[in-house]
Amino acid sequence: MSLRRIATVEDLQQYLHVAMQLEHATIPPYLTALYSMHPTANADAYRVIRVVAVEEMLHLTLSANILNAVGGTPDLSANSFVPVYPARLPDGEDDFEVGTRAFSRDTIETFLKIERPAVAGEDDSRFVSRDRSAGALLPAVDAHEDSLHFFSIGEFYAEIGEGLERLHHEMGEGLFCGDPARQVGPAYYYSGGAAIVEVTDASSAAAALRVISEQGEGLGGGIFDEEGELAHYYRFQQLLLGRHYQPGDEAGSPTGPALDVDWDAVYPVVPDSALDHYTEPGELQDAVTAFSRAYGDFLTRLTEAFNGRPDLLLPAVVDMFHIRDLASQIIRNPMPGRPGVNAAPVFRGLAPVEVA
Amino acid sequence: MPAPIDHAAAARTDYDVLVVGSGVSGAIIARSLAERGLQVLIVEAGPGEELSVAEYETHLTRFYGAAAKDNNSAYEVNPNAPMPRSPDVRRLQAGHPDSTSYLIQNGPYEMDSTYTRVLGGTTMHWEGKALRMLPEDFQMRTRFGQGRDWPIAYDDLELYYQQAERELGVSADVADQTFYGITFPPDYVFPMHSLPQSYLDTIIARDLDGTVVQLEETERTILVRPTAQSRNSIPNPAYDGGKGYVPVGAVSTHQVDQGDRCQGNINCVPLCPVQAKYSARKTLSFGVRTGRVDILTQTVASQVHVGADGQVSHVDYQAYGSTTSPEHVTGSLRATTYVLAANPVENARLLLASGLPSSSGLVGRNLMDHAYLLTWGLLPEVAGTMRGSQCTSGIEDLRSGDFRTRHAAMRVSIHNDGWSWPTGSPYTDLIELVDDANAYGTALRRRVADRISRQLMLSFMIDLPPEPSNRITVDGRYVDALGNLRPVLSYSLPDYTMDAVAVSRRVSRQLFQRLGVEDRTHYDPLDPGFVSHQGDGYVIRGGNHWSGTHIMGTASHDSVVDSHQRSWDHQNLYLVGSGSMPSIGTSNTTLTLAALSFRTADHIVSELTTRPSVTIEG
Repeated sequence: MSLRRIATVEDLQQYLHVAMQLEHATIPPYLTALYSMHPTANADAYRVIRVVAVEEMLHLTLSANILNAVGGTPDLSANSFVPVYPARLPDGEDDFEVGTRAFSRDTIETFLKIERPAVAGEDDSRFVSRDRSAGALLPAVDAHEDSLHFFSIGEFYAEIGEGLERLHHEMGEGLFCGDPARQVGPAYYYSGGAAIVEVTDASSAAAALRVISEQGEGLGGGIFDEEGELAHYYRFQQLLLGRHYQPGDEAGSPTGPALDVDWDAVYPVVPDSALDHYTEPGELQDAVTAFSRAYGDFLTRLTEAFNGRPDLLLPAVVDMFHIRDLASQIIRNPMPGRPGVNAAPVFRGLAPVEVA
Repeated sequence: MPAPIDHAAAARTDYDVLVVGSGVSGAIIARSLAERGLQVLIVEAGPGEELSVAEYETHLTRFYGAAAKDNNSAYEVNPNAPMPRSPDVRRLQAGHPDSTSYLIQNGPYEMDSTYTRVLGGTTMHWEGKALRMLPEDFQMRTRFGQGRDWPIAYDDLELYYQQAERELGVSADVADQTFYGITFPPDYVFPMHSLPQSYLDTIIARDLDGTVVQLEETERTILVRPTAQSRNSIPNPAYDGGKGYVPVGAVSTHQVDQGDRCQGNINCVPLCPVQAKYSARKTLSFGVRTGRVDILTQTVASQVHVGADGQVSHVDYQAYGSTTSPEHVTGSLRATTYVLAANPVENARLLLASGLPSSSGLVGRNLMDHAYLLTWGLLPEVAGTMRGSQCTSGIEDLRSGDFRTRHAAMRVSIHNDGWSWPTGSPYTDLIELVDDANAYGTALRRRVADRISRQLMLSFMIDLPPEPSNRITVDGRYVDALGNLRPVLSYSLPDYTMDAVAVSRRVSRQLFQRLGVEDRTHYDPLDPGFVSHQGDGYVIRGGNHWSGTHIMGTASHDSVVDSHQRSWDHQNLYLVGSGSMPSIGTSNTTLTLAALSFRTADHIVSELTTRPSVTIEG
């Protein structure tokens, strides 16, 4: 995929749409791995993945706040918002694919790629030039500059940060023309290892971006951020290294308490579950359909919440419990005709049934 | 261990303060003192290796797997530091004490109250109600000719109530909590907004608000109010002069990010799955972070020694390595000041076992606990019972008034967990429907939902005055696995309280009638806690609100501690917790004992920092 450098408010809004898409795109893979674990087994690993998933939800909300602050209109209900897995990340990292897979070493390796630290410095070096992959997931963008890709999520956000600065320099406070009532504040958003930031000016926008990049990928190379929080990349790495990081540790050499992982205490869910895996009418198909509808309802609710109704995030909590329960039920079921493979939810967001 | 300290190192260290017990009182005092520069050692008799989510979840897993889900079912049986468990309580035969479980029941009333001996103390099973006492509760003798007065008044505690509400993370709105003399400073707000009332609450309020109840000459109009609770809700941005409040979520060593808000799980007792409910582990973790609090767990304080000067000189301990073996090592710990924060039963037990009944002879006496009368029935409509948290509303209108000269006051809680307390619902409902009604499949699911979602249970929490004959003693015949004397309980329910039990049953009938509830209340004469009064029988349950065993007063001849919870007899010894309370009124005791802990911490700091210092001329 390609995005041009940010030159206009529309460009910035485009990036922020992609940012929301990007943050969301990580959640179904994380949740699938999480829910594939046997209950009560792998408590340490469960907590590690759960926290990262929760923080991605914070990042999604922070991206929505920034987009709202610059006059944009968040939309999670569009058909293209949810990727078809396997997919490439919407920021153009196309050297790996992300799927909804069972918890395994390979899955964690993919998660490490998602959260890999930024390597590049300033300006153009954060882009890598590669041939476009046919499988790349493309948001609709003007491709003024072709074949530029971000190496990491951190670099993608760095471009947003610089774009914001440039536009703020040109336009002054006029950049932040959004209605403050559309901001999600601490009354309606909690969890995520950091406070939600209401974005109303350049400094709050920068603060929101800082939370996203520091929590995720530790832009700047540290394993802990300013608040002493461990970056996602290193959280996942703990699962492969079998040990917790503690303050003072060097990257790659955690010295904290052992972290037990049982790679076998996992339901063997079908990779990249899709609706056409469930063509036989019956209870399993009904359950998968019910899940996708619930997921669609949830995304619709989030869209409304990010469009001036932040109070709707309270019932959205109940939606999330519902989604978890439906997913867990599906994952307990073997796939008909496929011995050794279990069913898995499809994060497609089917439209609700129209009631006449 | 929460802090890297071993017994040998602790024995070599000159601590400013030794705290016995890691529950809410001990934790608050330790944190508060450490934040002001004092060095504190906490010894906890029960187990606890680290302040981590992983450890918390071992308790949670044990609870989920337990067949009987009593309030200590999350904790392993530990003969080295045993604790009362409600399923252990048996119906007593007159004149035959029951010594089969840790707490020896001497009767005549058998008490099913418990406390918890693990890191974090009884906040590891409390429900989380955070109620201030009424101003009139502090003057029971003066106002109503009953019980005892406190040496301090509501106004003396008000500031400390505020500190307790911060520490315990209380969610409530001032307008809802301003009643029957309770006052707040003009701009005060609670740290977090009130938790939403349950759907069940709204149904009850719809039908009960405005009902008039007659208590002697006092006429009261019922208003269902949200309950102040120590569980996380939406923070109030106006808190602390506009600085706001950041909810304290799960105590975690590895940044597990949960518990910032109550999720509505129904098993608040014993454990909130996400730690949205306060436990003393939260306060302990802040204390440990100061670098000035050390904690030794599996360390039983076995003897308090007093020197010739009347001051406590040292405390002996027994440290055991495993809960499955009585093997242990012994030693002594020294500090400038000693704080016993081991709960009213254990505080009294330790003092009596140490030969320190106090010059008043009142250690162990004046034991109080709320008497609970439970009434239950089926609502005429589906009310969504079992959606948590456990209690979100109550009735405060029976707590105050001149009727208190004649009978005790009571407070009513509306239970979102249905009949679970009196009948063991929903598990017992399921078993009955499957085994007796032969229901299965869709019909079973429908019947479970229909039966449970209409359940209503009201608990009447009834005041009980201090009586010297209600007491904890020790007896050389009864020792635990480490040879420590076990507590012996002698207890009866005074007529002042039993009269209010009868009134509560009458009021319950009136409220059920108004609600159209099918009354299913039944008191079985074979059940523990069955008491007859004026021809009627009731099952009275304990409230786990043990109090009074080292009662506070104005003089050493008729009380054990002064208003700062300092022992009259030993100037460097503080006995803290609800054991100091001269009355319990109709408030769950935790918020008040937390407020007292802050007041005591202030006093200890002032005592320890105003000692004359020696200056060496150079």
